Amino acid sequence: MSGRFLLQRLLQLLPAVAGIVLVGFLLVHLAPGDPVIALAGESGDSAYYAFMRQRFGLDRPLFEQLGIYAQRVAVGDLGASYVYGRSAMSVILERVPATLLLTGTALLIAIIGALPLGILAARRPHTAGDLGISSTALAMYSTPVFLIGQLAILLFALHGGLFPVQGMFDAGTSTQGAAHLWDLARHLMLPAFVLAAHELAVLVRVTRGALAHEMTVEHVRTARGKGVSEFGVLMRHTLPRALLPVITVVGGRAGQLVTGAVVVEVVFGWPGIGRLLLAALQSRDIPVLLGIFMLVSVSVVVVNLITDLVYAARDPRVELA
Amino acid sequence: MRCDRACALLSTFLVATTLAALTACVGERHVHDANTLVAAIEGDPGHLNPAITTNGGVHTAAALLYDGLLTLDSTLAPRPALATRWEVFAEGARYRFHLRQGVRWHDGQPFTSADVKFTFDSLLLRFHARTRASMAPALLRVTAVDDSTVDFVFRHPYAPLLQQLDVDEAPIMPRHLFVGRDPLRNPANLAPVGTGPFRFVSYQTNGEIRYASNREYFGGPPALQNLVLRIIPDAGTRVIALEAGEVDWLFTVPGPERARLARDARVRLMPGSVSAGGGNCIITMGFNLDRPWFRDVRSRRAVAHAVNRAQFLDRVLFGEGRAADAPISSHIPFAYASGLRIPAYDTARATALLDSVGWVRSGDAVRTARHVPGIADGTPFVINLKVLPGQSTYGDLLRAQLRVIGIDLRVVTLESAVFAQTVFTARDFDTAIAAYCNGTDPEIGVRRQYVSTSIAPIPFSNMAGYRNSVMDSLFDLASAALVVDERRRLYGEIQRLAVHDQPYVWLVETLGTRAHVARCHGFDPTSHFAATAVCTP
Repeated sequence: MSGRFLLQRLLQLLPAVAGIVLVGFLLVHLAPGDPVIALAGESGDSAYYAFMRQRFGLDRPLFEQLGIYAQRVAVGDLGASYVYGRSAMSVILERVPATLLLTGTALLIAIIGALPLGILAARRPHTAGDLGISSTALAMYSTPVFLIGQLAILLFALHGGLFPVQGMFDAGTSTQGAAHLWDLARHLMLPAFVLAAHELAVLVRVTRGALAHEMTVEHVRTARGKGVSEFGVLMRHTLPRALLPVITVVGGRAGQLVTGAVVVEVVFGWPGIGRLLLAALQSRDIPVLLGIFMLVSVSVVVVNLITDLVYAARDPRVELA
Repeated sequence: MRCDRACALLSTFLVATTLAALTACVGERHVHDANTLVAAIEGDPGHLNPAITTNGGVHTAAALLYDGLLTLDSTLAPRPALATRWEVFAEGARYRFHLRQGVRWHDGQPFTSADVKFTFDSLLLRFHARTRASMAPALLRVTAVDDSTVDFVFRHPYAPLLQQLDVDEAPIMPRHLFVGRDPLRNPANLAPVGTGPFRFVSYQTNGEIRYASNREYFGGPPALQNLVLRIIPDAGTRVIALEAGEVDWLFTVPGPERARLARDARVRLMPGSVSAGGGNCIITMGFNLDRPWFRDVRSRRAVAHAVNRAQFLDRVLFGEGRAADAPISSHIPFAYASGLRIPAYDTARATALLDSVGWVRSGDAVRTARHVPGIADGTPFVINLKVLPGQSTYGDLLRAQLRVIGIDLRVVTLESAVFAQTVFTARDFDTAIAAYCNGTDPEIGVRRQYVSTSIAPIPFSNMAGYRNSVMDSLFDLASAALVVDERRRLYGEIQRLAVHDQPYVWLVETLGTRAHVARCHGFDPTSHFAATAVCTP
């Protein structure tokens, strides 16, 4: 791997972000729905809406607005949120940690759960165990997240009383230190498991498929013939190779970490980027919407870059140039 | 099945991690302390300045921080708040308010008449859409006579003023924090300072807003020490959070959940018709009178006869509300006209009316035009109905009811911002459904629906495009009539004319049921809902 490779990949960010800004800007401006009406509410008069439009610069020609916006973005200014009346950047960044915590935990749960399950299924293909794991994974993959979320709330929160229903922290009491973290962990687990269900299902199937294939290749048979234990075969010969497609899938999923949880955040009242995205869309808060678009595009490119690096580290045949 | 070392290790790992995760998070059902009330709200208000927007979310979250000059009781009669008494001069063209002495803002600064004048001149009349639209054309000036006296001088007698001075329509803001600064970008919008029963503590975007009781409140300090507004976007989750004891108060309860909560001994329901940002709403079907389908009043009356309001009440509202029997809400008693002869549910009459217009029908087919003015012969009676997502069930029922009389209604559901633009700006609709919230006075929420000057690209204005100079004059007379009986008479005439011309079909009056945990009681029906509440452990 060379520094040149890294530089090249990072430079690729610029046209990608510029494209996202341009397409995103035109999409949100050309889509029906006047941000001033969404923002100012009902019952105004025409002069009021004209006045508000002028306040937000929405009375100018579209390409003039685009030019002004592009100039601002070039110096790192996303403009002021129409709804919050303050920097769109700060509004977005405030919500990033909550989403990263939720989606990161979910991905971790998915990986930790999927690898052993995928291995168990692949080691005895077409047996009852494999069938059970694969069918459950398929069912989890096919069930909409909002349904899993509502069922989980009913079963584990309302009736079971195991977890809180919503939010990041308990609203009625204020906690500090370890109690605060404990409170956070209790609130995190249910949405994280629900979000992980879908990821886990995908990873189980990918792991199982890749590993089942690797188990049939000739060098594995040779290894077994030489008396290598099943554990040794798994750890030294099959799993490292089977992990390559898993890494690709995990990379692709990780790219969506920032926005991948809109439904779960809404159902569980989790104060993250997904909810902000939905609210910004409904209120036509264009600076926030475009800011999130950019954040997502940058995070996808960066995570793909990291995936490539990990891939190269795992597979010496891959050269980065 | 044989399980070797690898298999055993993996199985143990799986079981152990699952058990660890579950046991680590098992908690007891939580009951928070009696001094704190947690209320659930639907969305992040964005800021807490109710003087620069009519957004209901902002008003719900900010009302507890502020006061109006007056408040309104359950009959909508004005009662003292920041003003202790008032006088009316020049037959309603000048009002004098005497302000409460000794009131201080939450930051300790004294409240004076300068705050009132500044709030109206620089905030409400510029940024608060309703107050601006209704009051600005009539208001000549606001004058601070002395520190504790304010005059409102109008160009002509202006009757509805006393209904427009509560905390929802005219919250008074602190001049010392806003003067000389951009009101839309003012830091005080996110760290507000008011005179209200609660003071601001913290605001976590998309998370929660915290308040503490104002121990110096002129109406007496609230019993609750802390209030938290927790933002929970999903309606189902809000209800479950109430049942699980995580929240104590819901501003709305979805119809299907209400019966279940009513049976829950831990929960109390509280019906009401007024909500922050506009209450007393009537779900209304509007005809686009620019289009030929309903230019003939007989066609409009036919639709009105085909509507079975009892079904709307039962199937859409689950019994919460009442069938609308007048163009003005029954919750504005002085203006509501009872005993109007609105078209009753009568499909035979509807059929006869459509036949007489020229909409012919063979068997159960959709009607087609024969000599209907503006419509080519043979054109089927297929029209669109544009609705907001939350009102699509009204559309579905209306479609079924109109199909009985041979009208094919195609329901088009549009997201809020798109609905406003399509229906009110582009006027691209045949019929549409809107919730017209009448507010506390017909001048606030009814006039806009009928006067010709409200045919404009403004949300929830004169959707039908209805023009009648007599109607315009009647509204002008009613807004200037100071004597209640005279206003009642004029609004009666207005409603009879509206029923005669039938630019709309008034379907149902909605109510907003609130819910709270049984251990809390004493909630106020106004926007200051928590000011008088008490919770026990």
